[in-house]
Amino acid sequence: MVGKKMLRRRTAVTVLAVAATVGILGAKLVDIQVVQADKLQKESVTAKEVSTKLLGNRGDIVDADGTVLATTVYTYTAQASPKDAIAGGREKMVEAAAKIGAITGQGGDAVVALFDAALKENPKSQYVLIKSGMDVGTFNKLDALPYPWLTFKKFQSRSYPNGAVAGNLLGFLSQGGDSGLEKSENGCLAGENGEETYQRGADGVAIPGSTVVQKPAKDGGTLKLTIDSDLQWFAEQTLAQQVGATGSKFGFVTVAEAKTGKVKAIAQWPSLDPNNIDATDPSYWRLQSLTDPREPGSTFKALTAAMLIDQGKASPTTPVLAPYSWKSGNGADLHDSGYHAPLRLTLTGVLMMSSNTGMSQLGRALTDQTRYDYLKKFGIGDPTGLPYPNESAGELHPVKDWDDQTKYATMFGQGVSATQLQMVGAYQALANGGTRIPLSLVEGCQHPDGSVTDVPSAKQTPVVSAQAASTTLGMMESVVTSGELKKQLQIPGYRVAAKTGTAQQPDGKGGYLPSYYVSVMGVAPVDDPQYVVSVNLGFPTTITSSAAAAPLFHTIMSQVLKTYRVKPSTSSPADYPPYY
Amino acid sequence: MSTNLAEAVPATARRRPAALWSGAAAVAAAAPAPAEAPERTHLEVVPSRSQRRARPRALYAGIAVGTLLAIVVAQLLLSIGISQGAYQLNTLEAKQTQLQRSYQAVSEDLGRVSSPQNLAANANALGMVSNSNPAYLRLSDGAVLGAPLPASGAAGTVTGGQGNLVPNALLAGVPLVGQPQAQQQAQQTGAAQTGNSASAGAANTPEKKPTVPLQGALPTPVTH
Repeated sequence: MVGKKMLRRRTAVTVLAVAATVGILGAKLVDIQVVQADKLQKESVTAKEVSTKLLGNRGDIVDADGTVLATTVYTYTAQASPKDAIAGGREKMVEAAAKIGAITGQGGDAVVALFDAALKENPKSQYVLIKSGMDVGTFNKLDALPYPWLTFKKFQSRSYPNGAVAGNLLGFLSQGGDSGLEKSENGCLAGENGEETYQRGADGVAIPGSTVVQKPAKDGGTLKLTIDSDLQWFAEQTLAQQVGATGSKFGFVTVAEAKTGKVKAIAQWPSLDPNNIDATDPSYWRLQSLTDPREPGSTFKALTAAMLIDQGKASPTTPVLAPYSWKSGNGADLHDSGYHAPLRLTLTGVLMMSSNTGMSQLGRALTDQTRYDYLKKFGIGDPTGLPYPNESAGELHPVKDWDDQTKYATMFGQGVSATQLQMVGAYQALANGGTRIPLSLVEGCQHPDGSVTDVPSAKQTPVVSAQAASTTLGMMESVVTSGELKKQLQIPGYRVAAKTGTAQQPDGKGGYLPSYYVSVMGVAPVDDPQYVVSVNLGFPTTITSSAAAAPLFHTIMSQVLKTYRVKPSTSSPADYPPYY
Repeated sequence: MSTNLAEAVPATARRRPAALWSGAAAVAAAAPAPAEAPERTHLEVVPSRSQRRARPRALYAGIAVGTLLAIVVAQLLLSIGISQGAYQLNTLEAKQTQLQRSYQAVSEDLGRVSSPQNLAANANALGMVSNSNPAYLRLSDGAVLGAPLPASGAAGTVTGGQGNLVPNALLAGVPLVGQPQAQQQAQQTGAAQTGNSASAGAANTPEKKPTVPLQGALPTPVTH
C-alpha cells in the first residue's frame, strides 16, 4: 500500500509540473500576444496580405431632366510581356499579334512592330503597351484570347454621351489641366478612393474572414445643371448653321429663365466635344461667353433707358433731335452707325433706331456716378458668380477714370466691356420686374448620402422699379413691331421685346476692327416675361450688321416658347410713338 | 452449498463470475482430483457496491469520444463550408464584374444612341420635319391660340437640311435607322464592281439578328 507521505510527494510534484507548464506557456503567450505582437502580426500579414484599391466613382453631370451629360466609365489598357510572347517561337507571336491587332484596330503588323521594338531594346523585356483607352467591348474580345502574357489594367475615364452638347460648359479632365465645370465643381464630383486588405491562399482566393476595409470608398456627387440638353442641342445646331451662313468667326446663344435666372441653354460655336478636344481650336475650349468680355454695343442702351425712366428723367415719349454726329463740347465726338438726316426721335425711337447721338443727349440727365451705380446693380463690372473657371468680370472703370468720350460711350455700350452672360443677367433684371436674381447654371450637387449642396443663393438685387422695367420692355417692343428688323424678329402671337447691337471691337492697337460683334437680345412675352434670349455673332462677313443675328434670335426664341409651352400674349403691344 | 455467498452476489454480477465460481466449487466438491488442484486458485475480489459505482463505465467514455469526434467532424465540415463559400464568392464576384462590364457596354451604347445628335439625324433619315409654327388649343373654351400652319417639308427638317453640326465623337460608326440596308446594298454593289476577294469578306460578315423579333409592323417583345 502507498504511504501517506508518498502520496503527498506525488501530489506536490504533479502540481509543480502543471504550474511550470502553465507558467511557461503563459509567458510565451504574453511574449507572442503582447511583447512581439506588432512585429509578428506585420510579418504574418505581409507574407500573404493583398491590398486593393476600392474605386470611388466620379459623379455624373446631369441636365435639368436628369439626362446624363458626363459620366464615369472604365476604359482598359492592354499590355503584354514580349519575352513571354516570343518564347513559343516567332511564328506564334506573329499569329497572336495578328489576332490582337485585328481586335484593337491597329493591325497585326503594328503590334508585331511594338514587340520587336521592345525586344530590340531589351531581349528580356516584360512590358509593352499595346493599346490604352479601350472600351469594354474591345476589352472583352481581347480578354477572351488565350494568351497569359496579355494583361489588362482598368482605368476610370470620363465619357460625354451627348458629345458637344454643352461641351464647353462641361469641360474636360486632362493631364494638361482640367476645364469647365469638371474643374470648378470638382469638389462636388470627385470621389474618394478607399482601400481594403485581405489575405489570400495559395490559389489566390481570399481567405474567408480576412477582408478588412481599411477605408471605404466614397463616390462623388451628382451635379445637376439647369441646362435643358435638347434646347442646348437645338441652340448649338442652329447657331452653327447661322455662323456658317453669315461667315462669322464665332457665336454665342444663351437662354435664361426670366423669373429664376436659371440658364437653360448656353451655346457656343465653335463648340467643344469633350470626347475629342483636339478637334477644336484650344481658344474655343473655354466658354467665351463667360470668360471673354467684349464691348456689348447698343444692347446696353436698354439699361441706360431703364435708368432714365427709373430716375424720372425721361419717359418713353421724351423728345430728342438726333443728328448723325454730335459733339459734347468737352471733347466727346460721337456719331451713329450709318449716315442719316437729323431725326426727331422720342426715347422709344432712340432705342428703335439705336441712335448713339440721341441716347447721349438724353443720358446727360443722369450724373456719371448715378449711371455707374446703376450699372453695378445691373451686374456690369462684377462676375456673375456662375461656377465656371476664369470667369471674367468685364471692365467697368470707376467714374474718375472716365474721359468725356467714355462718359458718353458708356451710355451705348462702348468704353465698357461685359461678357454675354453679364448682359443676360442685366436683361434678366428688366424681365423680372426690375429685380435681378443671380444667374445660375447648377441646381445643386446631390451626394450619395442624399444631401444636396451647392444650391445657388437667390439673393435678389432691386435695380429699377417694376414700372421702369416694364416701360423699358415696352419701348424695346418697338424694335420688333416697327424697327428695321421687324420682319426677322416678329413671332406671331407673342409680344417680343428686343434690342440689337452692332459693336465695334478694339483691335488691341488703340483702334477698332473693321468687322462687328453683332447681337440681338430680347425678352418674351412682354406682358408676362418668361425667357431672356441673347444671340451674339462674332465678325460676320456676309451681313455685317445685327441683321445677321436676328433670324437666329427668332429661331431660338420660337423654339424656347414652343418647348416651354409659353402661353401666347393676350394684350396688345405698348406702341409708344418713336417720333415726335 | 454456501448459499450465503451466492446470495451476496448481485443479480447482474452473478451470471459469469458467480456461476464460474460456484461451478468451479461444484466441480471441486464433486471430483476433488489432485491434478486439477493448482488451477482452482482463480479467485477474485468481489467489489463492494460503492466500489462498483465509482468505476467509470464504457458508456461515458463512448459519449466523450463520440462528442469529441462529432466536434472535429463539425469543425471540418464548417471549415469546408466556409472555404466553399469563399470559392463561390470568388466565382460570383467574377460574374458580377462580367455583368458590370456588359452593363457599362450597353449603357454606353444607350447613351450615345439617345444623344440629341443621333435622334435628330435619325428623325431626318426617316423624313420627319418639325413645325416651326406652334399653335395651341385652349381646353377651357376651345380657342385656337397662335396660327396653325402645316409643317414645311423642305425647311422643317430638324437639322435645317445641313446635317448634324454638333460634333459627337462617340457617334462614329453608329448607323442611322434604315441605313444598314443602304449600307448592305452599297457593299453589294461595291462587291459586284470590284469582284475580288474583299467582297467575299463583306458577304461573310454574320448578319446581326434583332434581339426583339418583328411581329407585324412593330417590334414586340416575346414576353407577355
